[in-house]
Amino acid sequence: MKIDRLEIRIAGFGGQGVVTMGRVLGVAFTIHEGINSVNTHSYGPESRGGSCRSEVVVSQGEIHYPSVRKADILVALSQVALNMYHQDLKADGILLIDPNSVKDVPDDHVCYEVPAMAIASSIGDVKYQNSVVLGALAALLKSKIKKESLRLAVSKNVPPGTIESNLAAFEQGWTHIMKADMIIAKCDKG
Amino acid sequence: MLKHPMLKYIREDGPAGKRLPFILCPGCGAGQVLNYTLQAVDDIINKSGAKKEDFVFISGIGCSSRLTSHYLNFDSGWTLHGRAIPIATGVLLANPDLKVIVFTGDGDAAAIGGNHFIHAFRRNINITVICVNNGLYGMTGGQVAPTTQPFSITPTTPYGNIEDQFDLCKLAETAGATYVSRWTTAHPMQAIKAIKKGIANKGASFIEILSQCPVHEHKTPVEMIKSLKERTDSIDKSKNSGKIPIGEFYYSPRPEWTDRYEAIIEKCIERTL
Amino acid sequence: MVEKAAKINNQQSNLSLPYIKTGRHYLEGSEACIEGALLAGMKVYAGYPITPASEIMEHASRRLPQFGGRFIQMEDEISAVCTLVGASWAGAKAMTATSSPGFSLMQETISFSIMTETPLVIVDVQRPGPGQGYITTSQEDVMQARYGHHGEGPIIALAPSSVQDMFNLTIEAFNLSEKWRTPVLIMTEETVAHLREQLIVPDLNTIEITKRKKPQDLEIPPEAYLPYGHDLVPPMANFGEGYNINHVGLVHSEDGNVSNYSLKVHLENIERLHQKIEKNVNEISRIEFQFLDDCDHLLVCYGSVARTSLEAVKELRSMHGIKIGFIRLVTLWPFPEEKLRSLISKVKSVFVPEMNMGMIKHPITEALRDRCDQVISMPEIGALHSPEKLIEQIVKRASC
Repeated sequence: MKIDRLEIRIAGFGGQGVVTMGRVLGVAFTIHEGINSVNTHSYGPESRGGSCRSEVVVSQGEIHYPSVRKADILVALSQVALNMYHQDLKADGILLIDPNSVKDVPDDHVCYEVPAMAIASSIGDVKYQNSVVLGALAALLKSKIKKESLRLAVSKNVPPGTIESNLAAFEQGWTHIMKADMIIAKCDKG
Repeated sequence: MLKHPMLKYIREDGPAGKRLPFILCPGCGAGQVLNYTLQAVDDIINKSGAKKEDFVFISGIGCSSRLTSHYLNFDSGWTLHGRAIPIATGVLLANPDLKVIVFTGDGDAAAIGGNHFIHAFRRNINITVICVNNGLYGMTGGQVAPTTQPFSITPTTPYGNIEDQFDLCKLAETAGATYVSRWTTAHPMQAIKAIKKGIANKGASFIEILSQCPVHEHKTPVEMIKSLKERTDSIDKSKNSGKIPIGEFYYSPRPEWTDRYEAIIEKCIERTL
Repeated sequence: MVEKAAKINNQQSNLSLPYIKTGRHYLEGSEACIEGALLAGMKVYAGYPITPASEIMEHASRRLPQFGGRFIQMEDEISAVCTLVGASWAGAKAMTATSSPGFSLMQETISFSIMTETPLVIVDVQRPGPGQGYITTSQEDVMQARYGHHGEGPIIALAPSSVQDMFNLTIEAFNLSEKWRTPVLIMTEETVAHLREQLIVPDLNTIEITKRKKPQDLEIPPEAYLPYGHDLVPPMANFGEGYNINHVGLVHSEDGNVSNYSLKVHLENIERLHQKIEKNVNEISRIEFQFLDDCDHLLVCYGSVARTSLEAVKELRSMHGIKIGFIRLVTLWPFPEEKLRSLISKVKSVFVPEMNMGMIKHPITEALRDRCDQVISMPEIGALHSPEKLIEQIVKRASC
């Protein structure tokens, strides 16, 4: 399926692996699928706790403007992130949130939930949450990119010794969304 | 007519005209330092088989630094005020086999160039720094320098210098130079020997030559050279006499920067082969 | 077998060095810059940490020894650029990267490099100022690039817009610096340095590398060598080859003599430096353009703003019916006035979006003084223009 311009924005706070998520997503598209993508990120000066945003723009054509104009997918891993970027999500765009850190969700978009931090902790460390999110994204993007491309990108871009855990996290993120896809997920408050 | 033996290393003229006489004032000590340095280099070329083309002279700005400019029949660079040392560092990074000699002055090396002075010695990069120390800024009119004696009246200390002086040799040694010595223009043979030893040292060498500026001190050159002899003593004797110590303060080679980096290159090339 | 890298020269033919492989890569601008530099033959890098340029230095520190090159982190930006001067004089291709405040510190040495005609490459990853400003993106140094160094003396400055540009233009920067015996600036921005996208590395054998012209190449022996003579671009002898070259920063004659000063000598020296670059603008400077055949209006841009601009121009043409042409300055300096004039006969408005309060708009205004009704500056401070903003402003102004 031809990708004209696919815009994905991931936002949260420093330490959640937001920058890594964007980069791995970009690697998956460009190196493993051979489709050009542009990955940018911005963050506050604090290493931890400050707001952080990573974007991936994918296209089989040329990519001029390197950032998100109107996101097709917004991954919001903090309430602040959702509040800040929700108006830049396309009307038919998809929201992906971690319900443990994002409670207040407007109901005007299709919204998927993945408890990334909780899943990561159950695997052994909350730092695997970015692979959980990537697994979830793989499911949401399955018509645009092969699961294997993302999986491969994850395996090649995590610290040595953590590949197994990260892939397990990825798998759980994937499964979580695939199950939810059975039902049309529209989030309501609470 | 007798020609000075070191003139063989000097460009007396060129297509655009004469270059001599030197710009230096009559009686200036910098000229003596050039003579001593060239004698040292000449000796090394004749005795050790080093090639003339392996020598590179880099200077900063000031009377001392005029020793390169357009006079030397060697590869040379007459550079920026205070920056001879990092430029010399760059020369070695490109070609560590070159013998790099830096001419600098007390202001050039220890004021504006102070930061580079201490880091080059910390790195122990293979340069020989020859500092012509006349205790003032000669080229610009005799202003106070970090090496000027306390209470001196200069164009910028009309009420007397209220600051203390650097001991450049102590500074060099503390920073990490592996060969440190001080002589004066009144000690030609010792100065030549020290410069030779500095060049031979594989590492950062510092040779301070106390020098006379007759113009700004308003004294005759003879008076000043006599004074240089009288105000200095060997390191041992100076402990009792309180005079300025001259001699070899420190000599203790340790691995030089480009040698240490060579080990990194070898490891990297091995890994990528 | 491990080869001892004792003498580094400008030989660029050893394909057993671990260059980046031909094919598709996914790199950030900083990395692409270093990979290009290595292919161009860079053998010395001296730097100092500063946000957002430190990544370039870090990549250099990792890669350079793999090529037998030498990396050093110096004690400040001044000594970093000075290290490049010495390295270049001794025959090495040398580079540093800094950001705007560090760029200010380097200006004296840049001036000296212009006067001594020393090839070297400086990357400025621009950030907002004045002062420490902020750590985001900007184009606020574009005037400093040309006029920041004291004294006369033109300089070459390139403006990359993409990761591919960071690779290609870095190679071009080295080639230009060697060919014209001059420092060359790569005026990039935080946007491009930190952006990650695909890099296509061509067959390495198709990449052209320029080596400096040496007196040996022209069979000029040491006795007859004039360090600032023989040609508009004087051949440059390296240290250690017996040419006894004297580098001097004072006004000089062709043979390097500084003591026969006269206004005539002075003018000849400065005029040759000036003509060396300005006479060759058409060969040195590059412009990219699209949609000029039928345009009523024009947009002129550079750097990462070109990306927003092209997006906006395409949308303005297709969705708003505004016939606007697009020009991207790949070279900022020497400013390609003649080329610009040759491309444009008459337009209504010239829009110049910049991440500053309006800098390149000045030479543009002068160049197109009789080719347009007005030049409209579109400043943006601290962030890349969005297509929406450009489109909105242009639609409003274009319909007046």
